[in-house]
Amino acid sequence: MRFDIDRYKEIIDTLSRNRSRTILTGFGIFWGIFMLLVMLGGGNGLKAILSQNFEGFASNAIIIGTNRTSKPYGGFKRDRYWLMDKSDVEVIKTLVPEADIVTMMDADWGGNVTYSDKSYSGIIKGLTSEYAGVESPQMMFGRWLNEVDCTQERKVCVIGKRVWSNLFPDGENPTGLFIKVKNSYFQVIGVDGRNGGININGSPDQSVVIPYQLMDKMNNSGGKFDMICMTAKEGADSDVLQEKVRGLLSRRHSIAPDDKNAMMMLDTEKIFKIVDNLFTGVNILVILVGLGTLLAGAIGVSNIMMVTVKERTTEIGIRRAIGATPKMILSQIITESIGLTILAGMLGILFSVLILWAAGSIVSSMPDFTSGISFQIGFWTGIAVLLLLVVLGVLAGLAPALRAMNIKPVDAMRDE
Amino acid sequence: MLIELKDVNKTYFGAQPLHVLKGINLGIERGEFVSIMGASGSGKSTLLNILGILDNYDSGEYRINGKLIWDLTEAKAAEYRNKMIGFIFQSYNLIGFKTAVENVELPLFYQGVSRHKRHEMAMEYIDRLGLKDWAGHYPNEMSGGQKQRVAIARALVTKPDIILADEPTGALDSKTSVEIMDLLKELNEREKLTIIVVTHESGVANYTNKIIHIKDGVIGQIEENHAHNSVHFGGEGMLK
Repeated sequence: MRFDIDRYKEIIDTLSRNRSRTILTGFGIFWGIFMLLVMLGGGNGLKAILSQNFEGFASNAIIIGTNRTSKPYGGFKRDRYWLMDKSDVEVIKTLVPEADIVTMMDADWGGNVTYSDKSYSGIIKGLTSEYAGVESPQMMFGRWLNEVDCTQERKVCVIGKRVWSNLFPDGENPTGLFIKVKNSYFQVIGVDGRNGGININGSPDQSVVIPYQLMDKMNNSGGKFDMICMTAKEGADSDVLQEKVRGLLSRRHSIAPDDKNAMMMLDTEKIFKIVDNLFTGVNILVILVGLGTLLAGAIGVSNIMMVTVKERTTEIGIRRAIGATPKMILSQIITESIGLTILAGMLGILFSVLILWAAGSIVSSMPDFTSGISFQIGFWTGIAVLLLLVVLGVLAGLAPALRAMNIKPVDAMRDE
Repeated sequence: MLIELKDVNKTYFGAQPLHVLKGINLGIERGEFVSIMGASGSGKSTLLNILGILDNYDSGEYRINGKLIWDLTEAKAAEYRNKMIGFIFQSYNLIGFKTAVENVELPLFYQGVSRHKRHEMAMEYIDRLGLKDWAGHYPNEMSGGQKQRVAIARALVTKPDIILADEPTGALDSKTSVEIMDLLKELNEREKLTIIVVTHESGVANYTNKIIHIKDGVIGQIEENHAHNSVHFGGEGMLK
């Protein structure tokens, strides 16, 4: 087999001078590659969008919320509403070694904040400085709450992105300025730039975070709250942790130990696992469907080339009569097939990369997402697809090439 | 003796075995201009296929230049065809998506001649056949006579020992037919090329110096025709 420029020129001539045939044959491969890559890229993008929601959120967080009891227990009737208090936090901290951060959250929905003539109705959250370890903020301006803010009960607040853009439409740095939260004035110490994502008591961009102690006093809650956020220590079993906390709290508040309704527990680790599994599933599906489409394309190429070989009996017969050996014909048809698959496949790769790029930049420019969401396929995926194309090209060309090889030169004269 | 056939037999085994060639004995010297003439079904096409190493024979001997043509692999047969034989077909058999000069280059491509050299040689033959202005044209842009001249150039370009022409004027009008036959005659006289024309038309056969009649698979009369006066072109042929 000779591999020189001549051979390639011959192939390029044959393909380019029979344009409609080439286009028809290549379309199957083009479409297969295009679909495979667009779906793969779409999966990547979706994953990126989804994981953006989890961004900054501890992957081992456990959120405990109170609710009405669903079982009578310890002399209490069912449907009793209960709340947790500060001592619960202390008890968990001391008695449950698996717990790392344990902190309370109190939230006021529909709390009004105003600055000069602008006002916004957001969510006012009372948090402690420890909370940053559960849900890490992304500061646009200033800083988040620190320990001193909390212990000294400073009247400071961190506002979310949307709160900021509503109160300060000119986009100025609000740190140091005072805004009115409900009926008292708070100094802004920072702006948290995070978007929605996992919501614990409302989206962070609509929140105004103040020290928990102040919140408690403002609302006259008497040290009671309905939510504890905690994280598990490195390597600790979150199921064991949950069991211990549930036992502890049930005992302290006379709740039936098996009353799941009364005490809601959200384990982010489980959610992360579910999402991960989901995407593994999506990827497998995409690859199966994509490979199927590609295979169908390859069979299409093989089929059309089969017809083409029949149509080209005379041409091949002539080539054989004037000195082409069967091997030359075989390699010609296979090279044509490889050339065609690679050409069509490259176009498919090009178009899908283009589409994915467009999708990525459109999504990234949407206000609800932070920029830098990529739908793009990886470089090695591209290389793998390219190798796959060569293999498919050979396979698709094999049957037609064998048929072409068996064309006798006399067939050229018979087919008139 | 350039071409030597001894008792060549060929049978097609179909539903009904067909004994097409029944012991052909034939010798053709280098530089001869010969026609093989016969009606359809006489076995002349089969004989042509065997002469052109396009088909096998069942028994006997066929030698070109003393080389026995028997039991060749496809690759060897292709090589012999490429080097020793130039074909001219009734329906030109040019490749439609290739220009005239590219068609002429094709046998050289299969010989492995470099592109530049190939193009040069092809242009030389294209020029010699008066098609210089048509070198870049595709076959469907040319007349029948022009197409046949491209085919002749393609047959000549490898400098073969034998030119085999299968009804070379079969698809041409009589005026063009005369041109093509004159061309073949001139090539034989000037270049001392060995040309074998297979035809059923006596007018065509009349151009050649020797007419071999074939009938029912056996060689009949071999007629010396140096006077070229047996039948005129387009006249009433004895077999027509």
